[in-house]
Amino acid sequence: MNLKFHNKEIEGILTIIPAREVKFEEEMEHYNFSPAKSLKLKMAMGYNKHCIVEDGVCVSDLLIHGLNHLFDKNLLTRDEIDAMVLVTQSPDYFMPATSSVVQGKLGLKQDMICMDINQGCAGYIIGLIQAFLLLEQDEVNKVLVLNADVLSRKVSKRDRNSNPLIGDGASVTVVKKSKEQNVIYGFFKMDGAGAESIMIPAGGFRTPSAASTAMMEEDKAGNFRSPDNLVMKGDDVFNFVQREVPPMIEHLLEKASCKKEDVDYYMFHQPNRFMLQKLADKLGISYEKMPNNIVANFGNSSGVSIPTNIGFNIGSKLLTEQLNICFAGFGVGLTWASLLMKIGKLKFNEIINF
Amino acid sequence: MENIKEQLAELLEVESVNENDKLADFECWDSLTALTIIASTDENYGVTLSNKELEEAGTIGGLINLIKTKKGI
Repeated sequence: MNLKFHNKEIEGILTIIPAREVKFEEEMEHYNFSPAKSLKLKMAMGYNKHCIVEDGVCVSDLLIHGLNHLFDKNLLTRDEIDAMVLVTQSPDYFMPATSSVVQGKLGLKQDMICMDINQGCAGYIIGLIQAFLLLEQDEVNKVLVLNADVLSRKVSKRDRNSNPLIGDGASVTVVKKSKEQNVIYGFFKMDGAGAESIMIPAGGFRTPSAASTAMMEEDKAGNFRSPDNLVMKGDDVFNFVQREVPPMIEHLLEKASCKKEDVDYYMFHQPNRFMLQKLADKLGISYEKMPNNIVANFGNSSGVSIPTNIGFNIGSKLLTEQLNICFAGFGVGLTWASLLMKIGKLKFNEIINF
Repeated sequence: MENIKEQLAELLEVESVNENDKLADFECWDSLTALTIIASTDENYGVTLSNKELEEAGTIGGLINLIKTKKGI
């Protein structure tokens, strides 16, 4: 689906990363593979270290830490927040929405909209799209896109398929009406037929967590996980991304009458280095323009990998310059979404630790 | 397609491969090797393979036939 938005802009981006870093080698002993085989995987996928929360840390903890940082530094005031869109797959509770928990704990005004959206890899884009829609309202002038996940808590430490790449993190993106005229182009598609490609099978209402859903089982590839754990069909996901993402980007740029070389950066979701390099090759884009170093330095924190990518790779640049950026997120759902927009002269753009 | 055996040998970390060699019997066979075969087949031949299809193909010969069938040659 083609989307178009007018006169919206990003004011600032803050990313909150857990201070706890775990090196790939520290966890190798948990895997049912020889060290040589695991190191080969590390090389191919670009694994190094990942940042994960301490036991018990929730999405709202990371977000409240980040928002208090912005309030303390006078980068944001409580009263100017007209809506919060929280995109997460690891909410504090089934009910109420975690955005309501955040609103209550921070003592924000009642005259605002709080909503949670269940989206993952494409979640940052979906959150921005929702913010743009809310900003169409006369009385909504500033929207926070809160994107956060602590999925390391749901990944089996003995799953070489997922554990080395998973990361936790949160981000706060302030989106507002722009005084200058602009056009933001977007595109998204969804395919629920692939709903089982990335999932946590147990713990919801369909299969509630029980002693039986915590039992570890070995899969064909030699990984141990239980139905309570996150499971990813690597081949399905790889094939889906290589099939759908390049045409999506070509289509988005065509709709926007923008040449590939006129895009300054392709800030994509970060599944792993391997997949991103293959995407860049297919699209004929240089690796410099499509950074792929987030999994190596932080892990894949679902949708939050995009703001992390921005903060880590072009953080200071965006404080002074304006850049033409193509965003893309793709994964769980299955969902694939992209945006083409100008970003720059940001009020803040940094990564802090929790 | 003429270099396919050389390409597979390289991915499977051996000097050479034979049609009857079973994929699962290669020393380096694991999910990563499977993924590199899936990626290289996509890149070199524009053919998409799944883990299940690789498993069903069974041997080097079976894999080559599968790629040929999917490519329509």
